[in-house]
Amino acid sequence: MYLILSSILFPILAGLFLLVRYRTPLSGEKPVDRQSLTAMAGCSLIITAIFVIAALFAEKGFTLFYLAQSLPIYFRVDSVGRIFSLLAVIVIPCAGFFSFEYMKHEEHESRYYGFYLLVFGVFNALCFAGNLITFYLFFELLTMSSMPLVLHNGSKEAVMAGLKYLFYSLCGAYAALFGIYFLYRNCGSLTFTVVDGALRASAITEHGGFLLVVAFVMLLGFGVKAGMFPMHAWLPTAHPVAPAPASAVLSAVIVKAGVLATIRVLGMFGTDFLKGTWVQTAWLCLTLVTVFMGSLLAYREPVLKKRLAYSTVSQLSYILFGLAVMNDTSFTGSLLHVLAHGFIKAALFLCAGAIIYRTGKTRVEEMRGIGKEMPVTMWCFTIASLGLIGIPPTGGFISKWFLALGSLNSGIPVFDVLGPVILLVSALLTAGYLLPLSIHGFFPGADYDYGSLQKREPCKLMTMPISILTFLSVLIGVFPFLIIVVIYLAATGR
Amino acid sequence: MNFICNFPFFSILLSLFSGTICSVLPAKAAKVVNRVVIIVIGLMSAVLLLYLLSTGESFIYWMGHFPAPWGNEIRAGVLEAGMALFFCIIMYLSMAGGAHKLPGEVVESKHNLYYILVNLLLSSLLALVYTNDMFTAYVFVEINTISACGLIMIRQVGRTIEAAVRYMIMSLLGSGLLLFGLCIMYDLTGHLLMSNIKESVGLLIANGEYQIPLIVSVALMCIGLCIKSALFPFHAWLPDAYGYSTVSSAAILSSLVSKGYIFLLIKIIYRVIGFDIFNSTRIIDVLFVFGLMGMIFGSLSAIKENDIRRMIAFSSVAQIGYIYMGFGMGTQAGMVASIFHILSHAATKSLLFIAAIGLTDVSGGSHKFIDLTGAAYRNKWAGAAFTVGSLSMVGIPLFSGFISKLLFAQAAVQVEGKMLASLIVLGISTVLNAVYFMKTVIRIYAYAPDAPYKGITFRDMKAYAVVLVCFILLNVILGVSSQPIVDMIGQGLAMFA
Amino acid sequence: MGPNLFVNYGEAVSAILFCIGFTNLLLQTNLIKKIIGLNIMDSAIYLFLAEKGYIAGRVAPIVVNGVTGTETYINPIPSGLVLTGIVVSVSVTALMLSLTIRLYTRYHTLDLDEISTQLKKEGK
Repeated sequence: MYLILSSILFPILAGLFLLVRYRTPLSGEKPVDRQSLTAMAGCSLIITAIFVIAALFAEKGFTLFYLAQSLPIYFRVDSVGRIFSLLAVIVIPCAGFFSFEYMKHEEHESRYYGFYLLVFGVFNALCFAGNLITFYLFFELLTMSSMPLVLHNGSKEAVMAGLKYLFYSLCGAYAALFGIYFLYRNCGSLTFTVVDGALRASAITEHGGFLLVVAFVMLLGFGVKAGMFPMHAWLPTAHPVAPAPASAVLSAVIVKAGVLATIRVLGMFGTDFLKGTWVQTAWLCLTLVTVFMGSLLAYREPVLKKRLAYSTVSQLSYILFGLAVMNDTSFTGSLLHVLAHGFIKAALFLCAGAIIYRTGKTRVEEMRGIGKEMPVTMWCFTIASLGLIGIPPTGGFISKWFLALGSLNSGIPVFDVLGPVILLVSALLTAGYLLPLSIHGFFPGADYDYGSLQKREPCKLMTMPISILTFLSVLIGVFPFLIIVVIYLAATGR
Repeated sequence: MNFICNFPFFSILLSLFSGTICSVLPAKAAKVVNRVVIIVIGLMSAVLLLYLLSTGESFIYWMGHFPAPWGNEIRAGVLEAGMALFFCIIMYLSMAGGAHKLPGEVVESKHNLYYILVNLLLSSLLALVYTNDMFTAYVFVEINTISACGLIMIRQVGRTIEAAVRYMIMSLLGSGLLLFGLCIMYDLTGHLLMSNIKESVGLLIANGEYQIPLIVSVALMCIGLCIKSALFPFHAWLPDAYGYSTVSSAAILSSLVSKGYIFLLIKIIYRVIGFDIFNSTRIIDVLFVFGLMGMIFGSLSAIKENDIRRMIAFSSVAQIGYIYMGFGMGTQAGMVASIFHILSHAATKSLLFIAAIGLTDVSGGSHKFIDLTGAAYRNKWAGAAFTVGSLSMVGIPLFSGFISKLLFAQAAVQVEGKMLASLIVLGISTVLNAVYFMKTVIRIYAYAPDAPYKGITFRDMKAYAVVLVCFILLNVILGVSSQPIVDMIGQGLAMFA
Repeated sequence: MGPNLFVNYGEAVSAILFCIGFTNLLLQTNLIKKIIGLNIMDSAIYLFLAEKGYIAGRVAPIVVNGVTGTETYINPIPSGLVLTGIVVSVSVTALMLSLTIRLYTRYHTLDLDEISTQLKKEGK
């Protein structure tokens, strides 16, 4: 109990402490001591990571207090939560260390680190939440605490993006809350279940049709966070304006909250209840549309960070597609892709950040010859890109394999074949929008002025996190078994 | 009769007479008297509340020992005592939070007048809460109006006098309708005491007599009280009155005065007409629709506003809409949600007004958003408090606003016909709330290093900061441990029947 | 309903007067006319109460010559209510009038809309 609690409370308190202690000075006050700030933030990140890893092995759930009668704030560690918090505990500190170097050229560092830690704590709470109302609480708090990361640089564009993010998320969360009210009436309790659903049998027979609507609204609502069409527009606006390490966290971790939410909702309703209904069909349609559209938009986007954000839209719907198919194989694929995409996208965004930091280049066509200047960064970028496309032996391959397999075995008419086809097309598009960067980066062509090249490799503090993330993305492709075991446990509800 | 049973009467009388005494006292002494009276009444209400919770039943107190049909009566139950306690807390905090601004807002020679008005307001609120007699209620409604009007216009600038006139006009329309409705009711039943009227109304309904005049009378009373509590189409007076009066006045007016009328309406619904009879009329549908409209249009007006205090004032219109939506649902759950929202809104709105003044003070006294940029860095406590208030208004869990929204939604789910409308409007209104409150929060936390205003430290505003902390705590308490309060409201409503 | 209206003509008249007063208070822009409307409205209610309390052939409930039999007097409660009401309405009227004087000395007009436009011009 104390482990779970401290993995949540420690980063939140540390974040608040940083916000108060190192707040941006007013005119006339002495500037923030940058060294101690980074030291504090670094220590807090490491301590939190240790807490979280220890908490992963916690067995028993506990109720913190009652928000209202029969609305307990309840925490529990289960397998699904473990996977998501594993992702967070690796990506967030990595990107955090990256930002110690990166944030040198931005202002208001204390605010950044403060909210960064808050996000970490809230996301842990989200992973460990044991019932819908706790989940909802931290879902809202996640939006609130991650918004300052989006509008960090304070430009008008960033503030508008932050507000857009806020409104989309709030709309989504409200739609979800709408569903929670009905679930509350029709379920015995709001505690999460994984496969069998918590609906009362009488509720299904009496107003099953209405409950389907509720399920759909909830999926749409939580889908907002995961950037699902038609509520995806905030994502390509909000992610790129944040500082690069923050975009990495936003794209790799925070959007996964939407996925986690979807898994929880599916668990509450039970896959048996939703299988074969119009909800499943509609949901499959939406995810496939998003997969295709996201890739296409990414393909046409000239700004690297925006391109990566569109790619996030597309890749997240891979995961949602796997969930929508609703069988064990595709579920495994989805969860694997959660991890794979998390590592890969974080690595890619950090690479983009390193490029911006060293060269100030943001557009793809400016990046010719970049591989000669920053070889380590671009090698990582290339390997991660291959992973995202799904070329063996990277993590992306395994997850997409399971997704396609699950879809083919599902026996849903039309979609069982259409799904893999669209996944393949989208993979081709992914290759189309990521690989040119590596190709032109390493082989700028005969007409390129090689004389202007300089060594621009960033320092170890930046390359190490990128390398670690890239390495992990390959590792889960080579040794997926351990994770598959955990996922199997998750799929069967333990 | 137990000694504690005298407390309601004592508290009304105490505030009434202390008001009179304040007129001859110097300002400083008047301030002390005012504070002490509020605290004493708060304590008495708390003791009364505990006593009522322990006995578990309400009591009726004869004024002047005349029995039922002739005498005047006071009635106290859990809900009344709780409300009185809550009003005292909010009023004390609002007065304390605005105290440092008072010398700048009101001429020195009129300070004791200000305290008279506050005491009178408190006494009329208490009377509205406790009385069991319709005509007494009417008289105190008028006293309430007059003292509220005084509170608006005591800050002598053109805007407040105009606002006071507009407020008076709307209030008088409202009280005229209330009085007329009340007279028709008296004419129909021959009684002025709530319990007796209820019996006769029950008989009239059972016999099927005078249905139309009865409905007309109920409708007149409802509309009258709606106008007075600034339900949506009747809110034109509100932004000026709240936006330009003194800080404490704005906080008290928005969180207490309108709530006093709403509480009277609740009493009329439960104790005069009877909950079931009231729900069988079409009036609740009208209240429901206007409530929903208020929720949306109030927020829309707030979004357009460029003045932070007027924005908060417009948000009150939306919040009043919530309360009437709860009435309109016509269920016990809806009523509980509304009453909880009365508490939650009172706690939040006064917090917002008090916090906003801290922010405007460090921005050269300007209410315009452009000048407020970065104000939260200059006054950290006010900034934090404003953020808490905003989050509560938006309905983020852990704060009181979330619980009231939760209760509203739970109530809505139980009403088949009104479920979708109320849930959708709740959603829209939540998002709209988020639009303007988060916009403000971002604005006050935006970094403005070249702003020409000086910051303020904790040492310069100890009392103010303590008040803000109390308000934040109140909000969090309402948000985190709502269950006992909800239970208490339920118990109080059960006593009403 | 028709015949009732004629029998209860007092109530009908008071209702009509109430409406006149109400509309005046609501719609007139001149403050003095508004106050007149207020008084008409209040008086209409008192008329209604008095009409309701009146019993034909009896006298006002003031004991003269020691006659205490209840048959002699009309119902005293409405009269009491009217008296209380008059006190309230007088104080409210006084307050309104004082506010009107304040506004007039400041803006030299009694027209509420014009005062509003002047206030907007002041921009405060």
